[in-house]
Amino acid sequence: MIVIALFVFVAIQFYQPPLNEDGGRFYATDFTQSYNVNANIEGLLHNSCYDCHSNNTNYRWYDYIQPARMLIESHIKEAKEELNFNNWGNYSNRKQDRLLNSIQEQIEKKEMPLSSYTLIHGHARLNAEQIKALTNWFEQQQ
Amino acid sequence: MKNTIFTIVTLALVATSTISWSKSSSTNINEKTNDSLMVSEHHWLNTKFPPTENTIKTNEENLTLKFSIASIIKDYLALKNALVASNDKAAADAGERLLTTFKKVDKKAIPASKHQEYKEIAENAMENAEHISENKGNIGHQREHFASLSKDIKDLIAMFGTPQALYEDYCPMYNGKKGALWISEVKEIKNPYFGSKMLGCGSVKKSY
Repeated sequence: MIVIALFVFVAIQFYQPPLNEDGGRFYATDFTQSYNVNANIEGLLHNSCYDCHSNNTNYRWYDYIQPARMLIESHIKEAKEELNFNNWGNYSNRKQDRLLNSIQEQIEKKEMPLSSYTLIHGHARLNAEQIKALTNWFEQQQ
Repeated sequence: MKNTIFTIVTLALVATSTISWSKSSSTNINEKTNDSLMVSEHHWLNTKFPPTENTIKTNEENLTLKFSIASIIKDYLALKNALVASNDKAAADAGERLLTTFKKVDKKAIPASKHQEYKEIAENAMENAEHISENKGNIGHQREHFASLSKDIKDLIAMFGTPQALYEDYCPMYNGKKGALWISEVKEIKNPYFGSKMLGCGSVKKSY
């Protein structure tokens, strides 16, 4: 039984879907081009949000292990559909207004970044001070 | 004997469902026929009683007035009332229905010049409706999206008018005092953002 499980485990490692990577290229439509973003806020966004909500994920070695890899890709796909920071400049004012409010609320309520994500990716965790900095900053943009 | 009865019953059911199906689709055809009847009546009237400048409307304006957001409004109001009652399950169901209604909109009935604006509003509204439908158990999140949705509905009313009397209400307290609006079918204030906690908070800003 264990042998079969092990065999299956090894077999699924060979399935590696395309990576969400673009070499960290510059986007004129990126969120940071639309607002006055100081270095602190930009850093927080990149560390805690951009892995899922952009076209460039910083994969760690453990992200490649199946079935985690499949779960991660499905998270990224869903995340980008909701909000892709690289694409911000292409959103209508209406959509931007809605998202600014949503982002602030989600961070404030600690619903984002996902706890399942921060559990393993310690760099993405936001402490109380960082949450406050982000929510205050988003508040000011509305 | 049994087989014959079974066959007859099955055929009867098939026949009934086929008939009712074609009836419901022919209702749509009837609606289209009615519209073309209206157009030809209008034409007759135009020859008998040539319109003055005031009564001449462009084709586009006619189309804008013909396109109705009645079903969107109906579903929105059901959602609003669910939130007034602080019923997250009903709100989720209403959100689902509203999303379906948006998906079924016949965009061909919208004049070309309004397509872009409509598309922008509808996409946002559908996003909001979807979130509401997916957040049973999280009425706070539903209300957050309802605030954005209400702005979309307000803009749709501005574009296409409303078949029923409506009121634009405003609650200054919601969302960290940033405030939020909602559209209501009754003049009495019943706050969807706070429900029974602050039912009467808000005021009528506009009557449609």
